[in-house]
Amino acid sequence: MLTLLVFLPLVGALLCLLVPSSNRALLRMVALGTSVVVAAMGVVLFARFDGASAEAQYVASAAWFTLPGAGAIPIRMLLGVDGLSILMAALTAVLMPIVILSSWGHIGERVKEFLVWMLVMETGMLGVFLALDLVLFYFFWEVSLVPLYFIVGIWGGEKRLYATVKFFLYTLAGSLVMLVGVIWLVYAAGTADIAALTARASALPSETQGLLFGAFALAFAIKVPLLPFHTWLADAHTEAPTSGSVVLAGVLLKMGTYGLLRFGIGMFPTAAVAWAPLFMGLGAVGIVYGALLAMAQNDVKRLIACSSVSHLGYVVLGMFALTQVGLRGSVIQMVNHGLSTGLLFLLIGMIYERRHTRAIDQFGGIAQSMPVFAFFFVFAVLSSVALPGLNGFVGEYMILLGTFQASPFWASIGVLGVILGAVYLLSATRRLIFGPIVHAANAKLADLNAREIGLCVPVVVLCVWIGVAPNLFLGKLDGSIDALAERLDDARVAAAEAQADEVAAR
Amino acid sequence: MDRYLADLGLIAPELVLTLLSLVVLVWDLVTKGRDSRQVAYLSLAGLGVVAYLLLGQWGDLAATGGKAETVAFGMVTIDAFGTFFKLFTVGSLAVVILFVLADRRERKHGIGEYYFLLLGAGIGVFFMVSTNNLLLLMLGLELLSLASYSLAGFHKSERRSAEASMKYVIFGGLSAGIMLYGISLLYGLTGTIDLNEMGIADGSGWPVGLAAQFAQDPVPVAVAIVLILAGFAYKVSVVPFHFWTPDVYEGAPTPVTTFLAVASKAAGFAVLLRFVGALFLVEGVDSTVAAYGERIGLLIAILAAVTMTLGNLSALRQTSMKRMLAYSSIAHAGYVLMGLAAMTPAGFSAAMFYLAAYYFMNLGAFGFLLYFEGVNKSEDIDALKGMGWKAPVVSIVMVAFLVSLTGLPPTVGFYGKLLLFYEGVDAGLGWLVLIAALNSVVSLFYYFRIAKALFLSEPAEREAEPQPFFTGFLALLGVGTILFGIYTEPLQNWSETGTDSLGIAEASE
Repeated sequence: MLTLLVFLPLVGALLCLLVPSSNRALLRMVALGTSVVVAAMGVVLFARFDGASAEAQYVASAAWFTLPGAGAIPIRMLLGVDGLSILMAALTAVLMPIVILSSWGHIGERVKEFLVWMLVMETGMLGVFLALDLVLFYFFWEVSLVPLYFIVGIWGGEKRLYATVKFFLYTLAGSLVMLVGVIWLVYAAGTADIAALTARASALPSETQGLLFGAFALAFAIKVPLLPFHTWLADAHTEAPTSGSVVLAGVLLKMGTYGLLRFGIGMFPTAAVAWAPLFMGLGAVGIVYGALLAMAQNDVKRLIACSSVSHLGYVVLGMFALTQVGLRGSVIQMVNHGLSTGLLFLLIGMIYERRHTRAIDQFGGIAQSMPVFAFFFVFAVLSSVALPGLNGFVGEYMILLGTFQASPFWASIGVLGVILGAVYLLSATRRLIFGPIVHAANAKLADLNAREIGLCVPVVVLCVWIGVAPNLFLGKLDGSIDALAERLDDARVAAAEAQADEVAAR
Repeated sequence: MDRYLADLGLIAPELVLTLLSLVVLVWDLVTKGRDSRQVAYLSLAGLGVVAYLLLGQWGDLAATGGKAETVAFGMVTIDAFGTFFKLFTVGSLAVVILFVLADRRERKHGIGEYYFLLLGAGIGVFFMVSTNNLLLLMLGLELLSLASYSLAGFHKSERRSAEASMKYVIFGGLSAGIMLYGISLLYGLTGTIDLNEMGIADGSGWPVGLAAQFAQDPVPVAVAIVLILAGFAYKVSVVPFHFWTPDVYEGAPTPVTTFLAVASKAAGFAVLLRFVGALFLVEGVDSTVAAYGERIGLLIAILAAVTMTLGNLSALRQTSMKRMLAYSSIAHAGYVLMGLAAMTPAGFSAAMFYLAAYYFMNLGAFGFLLYFEGVNKSEDIDALKGMGWKAPVVSIVMVAFLVSLTGLPPTVGFYGKLLLFYEGVDAGLGWLVLIAALNSVVSLFYYFRIAKALFLSEPAEREAEPQPFFTGFLALLGVGTILFGIYTEPLQNWSETGTDSLGIAEASE
């Protein structure tokens, strides 16, 4: 089932290649159809997934090749889903039809190429989340990189060349450092199976663990992006076409946080415990810094991009609190950010298509001309600022709670970020949506059409669902997060013992 | 007598190739002034026969588990290692001839000698990769070089081409001299020109093994070996013997550049691998010699680091695609050297795999260059702007080559790099692997300048007239680049069989 899930988009991409580029309707149907089937499979997978178990489920395995050398290490096409990846995989599968459908509005040229790249990227992203072999993971990680280069570079805004090259160089620099880490880890542990690695990695010498953690964490921190690597994100988000931004916010950035969770923390708990203060600090500073950046923006898309930096700060903060609640909160917050920020990007794309500007001061009062749009926009903003009853609240509350258990100081900085978030998002909403109509062009804007409403509704439903009944989603995490927390506890105990020994030795 | 006839069977591919080159030369003389395309077709057919013979030989050799056969009193060694490179040489010769056929500008130059010289260079490669005898190795190398000198200057009315040839001759002559000097020293010290005898002779009597020489006085032996290595380093353009590369590659006709950058370079690596393997890593090697081998390994590792860094940094600044590819080929020489520096059988087979990958992606990249030289009448990267939309298939395939050259999945270049990196780590060369990884980031920048020019600019005004034959042919190379990046087993098995036949001992830890 997972093999089909991962490679179906690729099949769809090949089908698209066979369709002549003049036949746009058929191309769009093929792409949309493929992604809808994948989404349905994702939903079924999610529903059937047993959250209580820490084991990988639906494992599919096939021999691939063998690394020669001292010990012949088999590399396998090993796919499987566990509590850490189920939400991400399902999110990816569900978001993609929305992304592809949204492209109908703004991708008018070279439709075929665009859809092919999107589907190839979907295969890459699903592969990243479902790979249980380290080399295979790296394989998909890079495969998902190239399509975005072209998506931003060809269909992007005015400064797309600058943005796309910057994005590509930043991420690739990180990934190649990770490649060295991957090879070293596989070599040192004598296996590439992620489950076996997770068990064996903690037996490596502690300096090696630290270095490997560094190599992985650097790549993921660039991808997230954590401060001080965040500058590529603002450019890439701003210049990407709407659908590119949605994928970027919804899924690609999550590859970074997911990697931190599975590889950074999961494989090197000792190093993670040692480095946790730094990452909590970077996360917390990122929250505040991203919020301050967002306040200063007049381009609404850039504003959302900066808010992404802030929101992902929460994810990292909660994750490196290394508490049960914090870990759960950060996973659920990854989904939340994908949904609410994705929705915001979609909506901004819609008004950009109508007005061809994104400057906030060019708008105002569009609630009068576009009431449906206003409803969705306000909803997305409220979800982003964590209104109780919506998804964002669940995530941020759990993150702050978990962080408080670990470090009240960073938790309080995080709370500050909540306030700042409300300030910039709500004030942007006021200037954009409400007030009198200043520019005549805004008076006769057409409200959302059926397709656009159709894009927003599933996201809205999910946001409410997570907000009202989070346990359905959190329950899927139990087995894996418990196992992770157990390893972290062991690591803490070991670290404390080592310290005690050192003190005793003195 | 029977024995000699059997021997002839073993060198049948060489014989056929030699015969072919002579027939091509005579044919061209006889049909002078008429369409030279017939000569090309004849060459292709002949290469087909050679490939068939080689494949048969490969089957036999692989079945015997990598045993080597010697011909002509040990002068020629037929083993899987040599056959591996011969197969790829035949392949790239065929590709180069197809390039000449496909390129309209080349056709006016494409007279019979062109093919004769190419085949002659091929004969040189055949002999140099299948011998343990330094004399024959030198002869093969010189045959290859002489043919290459003439080929580089084939557009003799063009100043650039003539200059390229001249530079090539001077550098080549000098380095051949240095190498020959090294060989003569080694011969004087050991009393043999056979690498196998040098490596494992025990020193009691004549010939004297390397071990005895190292034990007595290491300086002369070391000097001799370094001089010989310098000669090889020139052939594969390793820093600091790379200065000729950009100028010659740029000046030579593009099909010739392709041959130099791909087949000639890979052959240089083949002899380098065989030389180092036979002297320092062969089964039963003396521990003193092995200890010196480690130092040579370190030297090679340093050269690898310098070569890839310099190659990549210089490539960054190029505006001409041809020159950029020249520097990129220097950088790739650095990557391949990593496998050699590991000084393990697995490292050697990783290097062989990477060379196989290198054939695919560089033949493709140079084919793309040739295609657009014809369309744009220019080698500038800027001239490619927006052409991706005008010649989509060629351009998309080029993106696959670029991805592979950068070393990203899902391509054969990624897998080659993965193997090299892994063997590097295995051999304790973590620092080198890290440098190589950072180099890949640098290389991304200039490789993707081409992709950027092709697709990320507004569609060009000009049209590229369709060349279905050329396009389909490049697409085939592109499919190979991706296919072998996912289904890696065949290439990996071939490289391992090839390495096995060198008789290198597993590293004792």
